[in-house]
Amino acid sequence: MTWIDFPLYSGIVGLFWLVGFIVLLLSYKKGKLLKFAHVFILLGWCILIAFVAKLWVELDRPPMRTLGETRLWYATFLPLIGFVTYIRWRYKWFLAYSIAMAGMFLVVNYLNPETYSKTLMPALQSPWFVPHVLVYLFSYAVLAASSIVAIKGWVDNYQGNFSMETLKLADNLVYIGFAFLTLGLLFGALWAKEAWGHYWTWDPKEVWAFLTWMGYLIYIHYRYFHVQKTKQALTILALAFVVLLVCWFGVNYLPVANTSVHTYTQG
Amino acid sequence: MSDTTQKIQRNSWEHPWGYVESFFIGFGLIVTGLFLELFVASGNEFSVSYPYNMCFIVGYSVSLLVAYKWFSHIQLIRWLTKVPASISSIALVTLLVMVMGIIPQVPSENNFIQNFGLNRMTSNWAFLLILFQFLTCLGLITIKRILQFSWSNFGFVLNHLGLFLALIAGVLGSGDLQRLTVDVYEGKPSWIATDSNNNQIELPFAFYLKDFMIEEYNPKLALVDNKSGSIAHNNGKNLYLVEKGETYFFKNYQVTINEYLATSGKLGEGYYFVNEVGSPPSASVTVKNTATDSIAKGWISSGSFRYPYESLKISEDYSIVMTIPEAKKFSSDIDILTNEGERISTILEVNKSFKFEGWNIYQLSYDDRKGKWSELSVIELVRDPWLPIIYTGIFMMIAGAIYMFWVGNKITKKD
Repeated sequence: MTWIDFPLYSGIVGLFWLVGFIVLLLSYKKGKLLKFAHVFILLGWCILIAFVAKLWVELDRPPMRTLGETRLWYATFLPLIGFVTYIRWRYKWFLAYSIAMAGMFLVVNYLNPETYSKTLMPALQSPWFVPHVLVYLFSYAVLAASSIVAIKGWVDNYQGNFSMETLKLADNLVYIGFAFLTLGLLFGALWAKEAWGHYWTWDPKEVWAFLTWMGYLIYIHYRYFHVQKTKQALTILALAFVVLLVCWFGVNYLPVANTSVHTYTQG
Repeated sequence: MSDTTQKIQRNSWEHPWGYVESFFIGFGLIVTGLFLELFVASGNEFSVSYPYNMCFIVGYSVSLLVAYKWFSHIQLIRWLTKVPASISSIALVTLLVMVMGIIPQVPSENNFIQNFGLNRMTSNWAFLLILFQFLTCLGLITIKRILQFSWSNFGFVLNHLGLFLALIAGVLGSGDLQRLTVDVYEGKPSWIATDSNNNQIELPFAFYLKDFMIEEYNPKLALVDNKSGSIAHNNGKNLYLVEKGETYFFKNYQVTINEYLATSGKLGEGYYFVNEVGSPPSASVTVKNTATDSIAKGWISSGSFRYPYESLKISEDYSIVMTIPEAKKFSSDIDILTNEGERISTILEVNKSFKFEGWNIYQLSYDDRKGKWSELSVIELVRDPWLPIIYTGIFMMIAGAIYMFWVGNKITKKD
């Protein structure tokens, strides 16, 4: 089973990223180093993608079932988001953040291997499985990035050098993330109709997915109408991410957990 | 308070109403709803069915249009089309759904939860009242944007109208939703269905199960703690599939699978290929303790509903066991027999339903104690006449989400 190769691959990826990250930090002093940072990060990323592709082929099922596997996807998407955002907005710190976060997810996976079982229950064998999960993970990764922007906004605010640009970056990330969140939610509904006979059953995971959606909905509406109230907007953004975290893995610890169809961790 | 009015000193309830008044009204609705739960509600599910729900939806939509078109000078209507009413109702719906996400929605011992209906939130009056305000805001704003149509409102209308349609058809259409299950046994026709309240319902057609088929994964191998009986490696996860010739490592044990029989019977000390009802899988394994170089060899079997399992004790502390195989795919080869003498053949499978006379027919479950020897297949029938409207709403929102991703937000684009 190819997860056995994970320490090797993640070690190489981690090394590339660590070097890339340090060079990126150094590039604040010496601008010319930036290119090298990009090369290191991209090389690491390519190796990670090769690992994910190999894993998918050898598992005979999409590697998107367990928490460990979703973390792997998170680590794969974050650098992509980091680069796209960098190309669009030229924020070096954001690229550095996304690489650091992605690296952290690799470390978590290395320390805490989850079930890498080959079996997949019949209800999950559906053409909706891949789009539903991929869209969600992409959305979570973008929204996580937006919450980091919110924290940066708070710090800047505290230090008295808050710039509207920060909140605009957050807006862009939230719009992209929210669009994907909506798609994930609705794909889930369409799939549920095919597999379980009803599109919405107020399953605890559904409840919290809905709450996450509502949280970002509040942010979007608030920002739309109260452009100048930056502090409140930042607070709403941070709170919305807390709800997202509950939805992602906090649900398993709530009293409602045992009634969910979204816990697929049986041996 | 909106940005334009915040600098102006104003008293509560002075027009226009701001956030304070909006949340006050919202909490008022919630408190009213909770008291209704306490003193009036009988605990029955809230449901309206055809034609009443249809009349309500049409009447409601028309009154929203009339209210917006001719009565928008009234303070209440104007308030409902403004931001504070929208944001407060989104926030309060979120609050109540959050209660639903924390308190299990099952009958409760706790009097407080039970009396205020916090464990039946989807039919709680507080939730329904707030949802009604939410829908009213959503409906009025949608009408407003449709009436002042411009292409820049396109994404807005898709998202808001889509949500309005999906929500109203979902909430009010639930009374017409029918979900029935039918137990079908191999070789016997069945036409008696059971609904969610355990009432028996006679169907106008019958199911005849020709064959129930199940494909299983190979069983898995696990190292078990002899004292606790629980799986003793990798936190109970990461089990390996039993496949002939494979070698796996558990702690300091090297386990080699010499032989694997998918169906077998025990004879003396060993297992041999037997294929009859209830013959369990088995495997011959060699376990080498890499610390002491000692070797244990023997047969393990997951057992079945007819035969006991067999484990291999490899030390004082540990045994190697085989788990019950998991289902990979299950399906029912059925005929549907109508009163007119028609016979329609189909294969039902999880994720592959069959449409027949307005019903969606699903493969639901089987006798999992018997596993692949189950002669019972449980079939579910679902009829939801409101689905086309809900799907229209859902697809509008999907289009709206794609639009939103493509176009981005206006705040940034303004400058």
